[in-house]
Amino acid sequence: MTMKLTHAFTLAALVSLGPYDIQLHGTPRTPNAQGSARLVFAESPFGVAVTTDGHASYDVQLTVSGLPEPSTLGAYKAYVAWGVTTDLKQWRRLGAVANGKSTVGRVEYNKFMLVIAAESDSLVEKHAGPVVMSGTSPSSFLQMFLSHPMFRGVAP
Amino acid sequence: MRHRWRNAPLVALIVAVPNVILAQKKPPAKKPDPMAGMPGMAHDSTKTSSKKAPVKATSNPASSTMAGMPGMTGDSMAMGMPIPMPRGMPMIPGLVGLTPQVSSFLPGAGVDPTKIAAVKPTQTVRLKDGDTLDLTAGLVRRTIRAKPFVMYAFNGMVPGPLIRVAQQATITVRFHNRIDLPSTVHWHGLRLDNRFDGVPGLTQQEVAPGADFTYTVHFPDAGVYWYHPHVREDIEQAMGLFGNMIVDSPEPDYYSPVNRELSLVLNDILVNADSLIPFGKESATYALMGRVGNVLTVNGEPNYELSARKGEVVRFFFTNVSSSRTYNLSLSGVPMKVVASDESRFEREERVPSVVLAPAERYVVEARFEKPGRYALVNAIQAINHYAGEFAPEVDTLGVVTVGDVPASPDYGSRFTTLRAYPAVSRDVDRFRQYFDKEPDEHLTLTVKPNSLPLATVQFMNVDTAYYAPVEWVDGMPDMNWLSTSKQVKWILREDATGKENMDIDWHVKQGSVVKLRIFNDPKSFHPMQHPIHLHGQRMLVVARDGVKTRNLVWKDTAIIPVGSSVDLLIDASNPGAWMLHCHIAEHLESDMMAVMHVDR
Repeated sequence: MTMKLTHAFTLAALVSLGPYDIQLHGTPRTPNAQGSARLVFAESPFGVAVTTDGHASYDVQLTVSGLPEPSTLGAYKAYVAWGVTTDLKQWRRLGAVANGKSTVGRVEYNKFMLVIAAESDSLVEKHAGPVVMSGTSPSSFLQMFLSHPMFRGVAP
Repeated sequence: MRHRWRNAPLVALIVAVPNVILAQKKPPAKKPDPMAGMPGMAHDSTKTSSKKAPVKATSNPASSTMAGMPGMTGDSMAMGMPIPMPRGMPMIPGLVGLTPQVSSFLPGAGVDPTKIAAVKPTQTVRLKDGDTLDLTAGLVRRTIRAKPFVMYAFNGMVPGPLIRVAQQATITVRFHNRIDLPSTVHWHGLRLDNRFDGVPGLTQQEVAPGADFTYTVHFPDAGVYWYHPHVREDIEQAMGLFGNMIVDSPEPDYYSPVNRELSLVLNDILVNADSLIPFGKESATYALMGRVGNVLTVNGEPNYELSARKGEVVRFFFTNVSSSRTYNLSLSGVPMKVVASDESRFEREERVPSVVLAPAERYVVEARFEKPGRYALVNAIQAINHYAGEFAPEVDTLGVVTVGDVPASPDYGSRFTTLRAYPAVSRDVDRFRQYFDKEPDEHLTLTVKPNSLPLATVQFMNVDTAYYAPVEWVDGMPDMNWLSTSKQVKWILREDATGKENMDIDWHVKQGSVVKLRIFNDPKSFHPMQHPIHLHGQRMLVVARDGVKTRNLVWKDTAIIPVGSSVDLLIDASNPGAWMLHCHIAEHLESDMMAVMHVDR
């Protein structure tokens, strides 16, 4: 029964994903974790929120379930969400996360990952703990056309 | 203008995609010009005809088919000319050699630009209640990149005269059409008498070349508005027919005190090395993404310059008259606050790092130039290089503000620092708050249907669906876009309840009702794109976006609907008549993206 409910939850989460949603996946440490993140334009008088140089400015609405108590993973007390550039060079703290729904901080990268990590404290400013969930932004699906089968003679 | 596209040259290796649908490689044979030699027509724009040409009503309000229309013999430029592509980005091999399936048109066919008057700077015309203005659409010479071109202007000015009136004034405007296309004047944003809304086939007939029409224009609300044709905006507006109207409130403290007020009208013009890129004669080209220019202008000039004093506070009235481009404007770190938009002030002023303007939107923004120096007015966006699958930052400098050492007097620095609230706006909105959470009265979905586009275009669009930006800031695929005409692309407002589309939607509301309209921009269509949706003759509030309630409200007439978003508009349906609701991307309007809201008495 629990498995069926979990399966139903997963399906519902997948079905409800919109164009600016991110599917979050667990890691071997958190096999039951699942969830999604919705990117919603930050509040703006213009309806479209961007930075001065034109990066979209999104508030992140997280829905996660199946995260175990952080202490079961080691000397950790909290889960923290991070916005991370795809080259992993920039990590921006978004906020503390728990099972359920939460709105965390803002991401303003073009292509990025959302990462949830177990941390020693909910207020840490620097990522240090193990990653327990992650997902990539929809913009990460932009691909170079040359790699498409169409250019190897395959019909689309 | 600087483009910084990355990783594009590899595309040159792409194997050509076979094309089964080939556009004409040669423009169709030139038809004889029935108006050749006639006074008032394209070949002699300096003369006017007192005889009105027969007016042909079209079945498509706001959008006329020009084939067979007097003066529509253009063909001044072959369509096969090279179109500008972003640096390092070649045309798609499967599209090389194709041309749009229309003949070409440019203003003033056969007119020597050196023989007509040069465009004049905009003049402010202050009108009192009961005054009359003569407004003539005609040909002018404009110089772009050191080359003279025949373009359009109202009263010889680009932008046209800045009309400044008091709130509640009513004026008469005698419009004289002296261009080579039928035209009208739409008074964008004004809640005026429906008869004078300027929509051909709906509120009036087109004004033929050489003919005249008299408008009674009433200004019920303070704010910043603009006027433009509602016939082939893709040509007429793009070529210079636009102007601002500023309506002053009787309240002396309506806005905060500033040292200066300036109207800045933003447009972009599409040129290649030698000439303007021709327009489609029978129907619009660039129907997929709209025509995005590569020369950005402020008040008609590519290099806007302004001198300011140290500490000067300037109130800018920004209006985006571009066919398709959405701007993200900033002033090199100069502090700015947004005060008002289309039809009112905000409930509260807000500090903003930049100003986002979709086509047809207006924002009133105050800036303080605190220190001497030079400050660039820039449009900074993150474009997408679809070929490389990468974002590509672009920064365009629209102009420069030079701030001197002499301090501004009076010093409004402290007033600028204060972020005012406007309780009058909140009180006005209060009586509508009870409707914010009601179920929508009308649901519309925005989508698109292609028809007989080149196969290579269809294939590329199909593979480019992995991600769509919520806002397409520039034309990332100019070749595909150029080849698409409004006969091959149908942009759609679809009524969810009935499945009816565009002008087939039968939408009636009662005068005095408050109507909640939910618009969803379908991200799974053939080519999702943002749409600036404009409602004529009424005012509306954007009460929620994607379920998130708006906390700082302002009365609007145009609202951007990003891709994938669902936006709730609350319409104060107070003004009776038949009013257009349409996308303000000119080429989308030409591609049928319009409906009518009937406000019944």
